[in-house]
Amino acid sequence: MGGASEAVARVGEEPDVVTGESAPAARAPAGQASAGWKVLPIVEGLVLLIALVLPWVLQDYLTVFATRVVILALFALSFDLVWGYAGIMSFGQALFFGAAGYGVALMARDLNVTSILLILPAGTLIGLTAALLLGGFLLLGRYPSSVIFVSLGTLTGSYAADRLARGWYYLGGQNGIPSIPPLTLGSYEFEEGPVYYYMVLGILVVVYLLCRFLVRSQFGLALAGLRENEQRIAFFGYKAQHLKAIIFAVGGTIAGLAGSLYAFHEGFVWPNMLGVVFSTQVVLYVLFGGSGTLIGAVIGTVIIEGVSFWLSDNYRDVWPIILGVLLLLVIMFRPLGLISFVLGERERVGSFGKAPSKESGNAAP
Amino acid sequence: MASTFAAVFEIVSFGAIIVLVVLGLGIIASMMGIFNFAQGEFVLLGAYVTYLAYAHGAPVWAGMIAAPFVVGALGFVLEALIIRRFYAAPIVAMLGTYALGLIIRESVRGLIGGFYLTVPEPIGGSIDLGSVHISAWRFTIIVITLLVMGACYLLLARTSFGLRVRATLENPALARASGISTPLIYGATFAFGAALAGLAGALIVPVFSLFADLGIRFLIQGFVAVMVGGVGSFIGPVAGAGVIGTLSAALPWVMSPVVADVLVFVLAIAFIKFRPQGLIAGKGV
Repeated sequence: MGGASEAVARVGEEPDVVTGESAPAARAPAGQASAGWKVLPIVEGLVLLIALVLPWVLQDYLTVFATRVVILALFALSFDLVWGYAGIMSFGQALFFGAAGYGVALMARDLNVTSILLILPAGTLIGLTAALLLGGFLLLGRYPSSVIFVSLGTLTGSYAADRLARGWYYLGGQNGIPSIPPLTLGSYEFEEGPVYYYMVLGILVVVYLLCRFLVRSQFGLALAGLRENEQRIAFFGYKAQHLKAIIFAVGGTIAGLAGSLYAFHEGFVWPNMLGVVFSTQVVLYVLFGGSGTLIGAVIGTVIIEGVSFWLSDNYRDVWPIILGVLLLLVIMFRPLGLISFVLGERERVGSFGKAPSKESGNAAP
Repeated sequence: MASTFAAVFEIVSFGAIIVLVVLGLGIIASMMGIFNFAQGEFVLLGAYVTYLAYAHGAPVWAGMIAAPFVVGALGFVLEALIIRRFYAAPIVAMLGTYALGLIIRESVRGLIGGFYLTVPEPIGGSIDLGSVHISAWRFTIIVITLLVMGACYLLLARTSFGLRVRATLENPALARASGISTPLIYGATFAFGAALAGLAGALIVPVFSLFADLGIRFLIQGFVAVMVGGVGSFIGPVAGAGVIGTLSAALPWVMSPVVADVLVFVLAIAFIKFRPQGLIAGKGV
């Protein structure tokens, strides 16, 4: 409601702009006519600004924590693409995150490869391959898969991978793979701290912009349609299953990138990274912040991780309970997440194409 | 010969536990079309109630009898307050019940700490069949599972309540038009499913001991079993539970446990992929 009333108020502030436009603009929904009052770029700019100055105000150990949050935000972005935009419930997103983490950890341990130029592409490739295999199996086929099957299939995949990693001696069993050496570029070593922070922040910004471009493209419009009414999109002639498999693979790719960064940042990988723990954690981030808006995933990650870090000294025991209650409240009363307090529905859906005067240019939810 | 018999007994008793867990899950999934992520935590609660009774000096069997009623009552309340809002959207229902499960699990973790608490078997000792000794309590679990399955079947197939449940399951609109209070039926069914999970938890706590993550492992196995068996009927999830329970208990005897663990899931998902309606398709009992 907050977003909607704010939008109304802002329209009221600028009556000249609306009335000054020609007839098509007046007929078009007010949300896209003028560029002056969009909330989304402001929120995105603010988040970026805060992220940029953070290492100067934080102590060193907090910068290390902030780096972890930025990597997890990248991971949350991958889930948001898959669930928030395409409506595929991937309850096993950590499978790609953890598989890439284990993959690059093995490269570092057994092959002594730590160059960032090899590690990041390798992690990305592992994520992509795993997502193509799992997504291809779950989503493609003669009959379209039900949402329930896909969500339980991904959950089971992630759980099975967790069990496999726990029992497999080569992967270190319960303890995972410890003491991964730092990432290198030539002779330079990326240690934890501001440099690593700015590197992952740069990667996050680039990936964010790519995702933003993707979801605002024709492909993104088709995805939004898929989420709202799959059958209708199929009747338009889109191959709904292929669209789903593609976005699932893109999500897996980003998760793989995040997983390889995470492995080298933490210096070790362990079975939880593959399993239900991380898979559900990322669901929490995105639902909390607001699925279907890329920035919502980032904000949700920052808030949940930040609050849990802040609380963990005194209230470690009750925090998961509070988290559960908050999540339940969000699901029941704010299904669009915290971001919907400032972001109106029209802006969340966004406008597509170049001609805002055409009503058909909107992706009506 | 003796070891074969012991192995078969082991497999059957584990299968019986899975059947107990899955029965409630399957009934809820068939009835409301939602997969209840909190089912594992209902199992945990049943175990916890039994432990509480034992810790306060009551006999273990009294706790076991109380557990299904306590958990069922809680299920009824939760259905009326929260779950009811989710029927239209299965994915939202998953997330909502997941949040519920998180709250229950972490509350129990706060209450018991990170310990493994043991509860003694109400019927201890072993039954001797010649040279073979089998655990009396595991044998009791098998018997109780069979009794519960029979009772559920009779309840659904032979009573007027069962008729109403099946009518609501098959065509809710027509059931409402015929004067059946479908919200009440939904509430009762959910409570019944929760009570079955509570009973399962109460019965298995002497075998597995009580810890906060007790429910998770049964939850995923239960989901897979329901999907393999087929949603929509009573007998489907039971058949699925039999298959999954037997496989996951039997495979470790012939291969390394790690591989067996993963193989069960891979086989099950592949099976569901190529036969989405499950082992036993169709509605009814």
